[in-house]
Amino acid sequence: MVRFIARRLALALGTLLVLSFLMYGLLEAALDPLIDLRENPAANRDEMIANRVRLLRLDLPWYQRYFSWLAGFVQGDFGLAWRTMQPVGTLARGAIATSVQLVFAATVIAILLGVTIGVISALRQYTAFDYTITFVSFLLYSLPIFWVAVLLKQFLAIGMNNFLNEPSINWPLLIGVAVVAGLFWAGALGGRRDKKLKVFAGAAVVTFGVLVGTLVSGWVLNPQIGIVGIGLLSVALAFGITALFAGLNNKRALYSALTTAAVGTFLWWPLQFLFYYVEMSWLWMLGLLAVALLVAAGIGWAFGGPDRAVSIRGTAIVALLTSVLIFADRVLQTWIPYFNAPEISGRPIATIGAHTPGLNADFWMSQLDRWTHLLLPTIALVLISFATYTRYQRGAMLEVLNQDYIRTARAKGLSERVVIVRHALRNALMPLASIVPVDFITLIGGAVITETIFSWAGMGRLFIDSLYGQEADPVMFYIMLTGALAMVANLVADFLYAVIDPRIRVDA
Amino acid sequence: MSKRKFIVAAGIVLSSALAFSACTPPTPGGGGGANTTPTAVNVAWNQAFFSLNDETDYGNATTNANIIYLANERIAYYDKDLKLAQNPSFGKYEKVSDEPLVVKYTFADTATWSDGTPVTAADAFLLWAAKSGVYNTTELEQDKTGDVGEVDAANVFFNGSDPGLQLVTDVPVISEDGKSITLTYSKPFVDWEILAADPVGVPAHIVGKKALGIDDNAQAAKALVDAFVNKDNAALSKISNTFNKAFNFKSMPEDKELLVGSGPYAITGLVEGQYTVLERNAHYKGSHKPSIDKVTVRVIPDAQASVTALENTEVLVTQPQSTADILTQLDNLQNVQVLTQTGGTYEHVDLVFANGGPFDPAKYGGDADKALKVRQAFLHTVPRQKIIDTIIKPLNPTAAIRNTFTAVPGSPRYEPMVAANGMNTTFAGGDNIDQAKALLAEAGVEAPTVRVKYASDNTRRQQQFQLIKESAEAAGFKIEDAGSINWGQELSQPDLYDASLFGWQSTSTGVSEAAANYITGGQNNYGRYSNAEVDRLFAELAVSIDPAQQKRLLEEAEQHLVADAFGVTIYQFPEITGISSKIKGVSSIALSPNFFWNFWEWKVA
Repeated sequence: MVRFIARRLALALGTLLVLSFLMYGLLEAALDPLIDLRENPAANRDEMIANRVRLLRLDLPWYQRYFSWLAGFVQGDFGLAWRTMQPVGTLARGAIATSVQLVFAATVIAILLGVTIGVISALRQYTAFDYTITFVSFLLYSLPIFWVAVLLKQFLAIGMNNFLNEPSINWPLLIGVAVVAGLFWAGALGGRRDKKLKVFAGAAVVTFGVLVGTLVSGWVLNPQIGIVGIGLLSVALAFGITALFAGLNNKRALYSALTTAAVGTFLWWPLQFLFYYVEMSWLWMLGLLAVALLVAAGIGWAFGGPDRAVSIRGTAIVALLTSVLIFADRVLQTWIPYFNAPEISGRPIATIGAHTPGLNADFWMSQLDRWTHLLLPTIALVLISFATYTRYQRGAMLEVLNQDYIRTARAKGLSERVVIVRHALRNALMPLASIVPVDFITLIGGAVITETIFSWAGMGRLFIDSLYGQEADPVMFYIMLTGALAMVANLVADFLYAVIDPRIRVDA
Repeated sequence: MSKRKFIVAAGIVLSSALAFSACTPPTPGGGGGANTTPTAVNVAWNQAFFSLNDETDYGNATTNANIIYLANERIAYYDKDLKLAQNPSFGKYEKVSDEPLVVKYTFADTATWSDGTPVTAADAFLLWAAKSGVYNTTELEQDKTGDVGEVDAANVFFNGSDPGLQLVTDVPVISEDGKSITLTYSKPFVDWEILAADPVGVPAHIVGKKALGIDDNAQAAKALVDAFVNKDNAALSKISNTFNKAFNFKSMPEDKELLVGSGPYAITGLVEGQYTVLERNAHYKGSHKPSIDKVTVRVIPDAQASVTALENTEVLVTQPQSTADILTQLDNLQNVQVLTQTGGTYEHVDLVFANGGPFDPAKYGGDADKALKVRQAFLHTVPRQKIIDTIIKPLNPTAAIRNTFTAVPGSPRYEPMVAANGMNTTFAGGDNIDQAKALLAEAGVEAPTVRVKYASDNTRRQQQFQLIKESAEAAGFKIEDAGSINWGQELSQPDLYDASLFGWQSTSTGVSEAAANYITGGQNNYGRYSNAEVDRLFAELAVSIDPAQQKRLLEEAEQHLVADAFGVTIYQFPEITGISSKIKGVSSIALSPNFFWNFWEWKVA
């Protein structure tokens, strides 16, 4: 084990060293730090050039500069973004935080959505649904993000903002959305033709009704969840989660989940006072979430029975989701003041930046502000990246479904839910262990194009700006960071694999 | 628990929850913007702010200059016609004598820093001391850790220089009341007025406080001046470090005193790479009182994104990089006014005189007349009007040929210069194939090969090169494509090319910058042009303070440049400004600070 790690680390370090040398040489050839001075007609240009040559030690051969850079780098001095005279270390700290903020939600959503749809797609193999999902995911995969971003800005941000200022109902669009929703659910749930027809009609009518309801009642102008909404949604979630993880026949699991939902809904009321009188922070949020999970675990435990773990898992998930609902409800309560703030002036969906400059916001409103800014880039990133997960998960699921032990499980008479969730899905999720860590760790590298288009000052922007600014040190930092992280991610993936798959051992 | 009991219990919980919700818990912000809200505007710029001291080599960037312009006053500023407009509420400058040139700056009583300290001669003194180079004892050193810019305790180095202030070698004299300062130039300096227009950089008392650890504002400023007067190198070393480094920040500095400015606005928010917030400066007493309470300059590097942001009114003004697509999009926006005008950079073709090439008399055994005819023939072929019609007009419908070497279009000197220098009458719109053929025939030179150097990674220059190539080849030249990505480095190696196509950027309306392009051995005279008469004229210009005299000398010099077929200027880079109808009074000028020039006249519509 130790030998394995040591060997991998040594290999990684060696690769990084070679990488750094090659990249430094390439950057040396590609960048010209004096380029802006050459077009400068100022009379003291020679002095300015001399100053810069001295500053960057351009009089030394590049390999000599490389070694002094390397010496600094290993000692934790990442060099200087000389155009702004900022140490790279401080620049990177802010940029990494911004990048993670931007890409985190998108990655989580893309994984959840991609995996779910991939599984369903595999279960409905060779149906129209499967083909459509395949087509759509390849279509999305091939879209250039700058184009998607422009479309989103035009239709979602500007269109939505215009709509909020002059609401009018676009009936053809609503009908179209309802039909698509109906087709999606009919395809996803499958079954015989009459069942499909029923599902289609039901889903289409419900979608249409919900859309018209939100539009006509003016809900979109002031989106709120309220205690009624939280109550209904959390009970629905309790049923859904129990059906998925325990089966509705497991009464203990069902009742404990429902109890959790009810307790959560009830707690909404005292929480409003807490939120009003105490200034909230993320620490508070995490603390409250921990309390909620503990209470939920207690409820699951109290309902007891032979498989407490199943009940506790269900209540914990319900508690988590109900907490999120309560959080979202409180954030949405700031919608009207947010909408009317002078910095927003009735156009809440933002096309640029990470937050509204100069907005006078409390904890809740600043969350809302963050959402309105995250909305577009997150959608853009999800649309582009979820295809990978869908295809990946579909393949993994299909492979597992053809295994002998699935046939055995069915032959034993296990219910289809148990076969799929417990026997197939679990094993089908294993291959994800090799891509999810990589995706999460590369978050820190940011998204160059997305950050530029949406004007987020993250790692991607730092990289591209430094490149244009002919600054070698920040570019080198970026390369070393992403290179190192990629290697760490692969190492983590290997370990994760060994942990979840007993057939694999990492001693060698 | 039976099923029924459970349902009953759940029902009780849910209905009591509903009942509770009737006694409404406190909800946020019932009123929602009912009280009078301050007026705020957002404008876009394509690069992030990074230094509040733009008097250093690295702080000197337009993105910093814009913010500094909002947060600091100056005695004179460029108005719409690029004339220097005076701002007596900050101070005045006057020329005390011509021989030697003596200039006196006097600060008004209303000139105040945002911490309440008056602006005094010490502030102007610091700028002179830093940029004259008089006190520098060392070249910039760099220590092993790669920490650049820090000089050791015994050495002094101000990382900034100014060709004008370098001529003020004697220590300027500060008046009794500390409100005026007199600078004596060792040699006359033509652009003294442009220098005098913006006489103050960072506040002396803040530099003094930070560098010398003095708490009292007035004493800090005094100690700073004393350190210079007494050449106290230990103190000056600290002062130079503070001057070079303390004001470089991309996010709000912990020490708010570094943000002290003298202008109508003060920086109140700064988020790295995202935006700068400026709010009314409570201590501002001058005459440029703005009507808008808060101006936020947002960073949007992507031109397309800034247009969308303008449409979504997230910003009210943007000046994106001009391309035909961007202009079309801006034109299609409702409630947006689009200004198309000329920017500060101009495109030109220069010829090489001393590389043994087709334009060098040496090639023809020293026959200068022959070389001149070949040069003229080539310049006649440069299709100036065609370039403008096909490449620039789509971006700026009112674009016109630039016809001078030394005057910025739109500035007061431009029109008289065009009338005098003869570029327009000689070369007109170019593309004059017949005349070029005739000149080549006269010279008796057949199919000379011309290597043209340009930025091969710049689409616009590629297109221009193609147009020039077509036209010149029609006249019998052979054009070789010497375009390169490293054109910038290669410009100073005239053996590699015979004609160059690139841009020069004008940073002021001054006349002192021009000389380096045209005098023998001038640092920007890449083509090794040499004309004793032109040298003499520029030498005389360098010491001519009288504007009429300057005008005459420059006109004469340009006449020589045209007669010698030095090169031709083509066009001024176009600049597009998109302005939302929600803001009034915004326009743009060709020089920095571009659309910020009259920010105090902006109004929220």
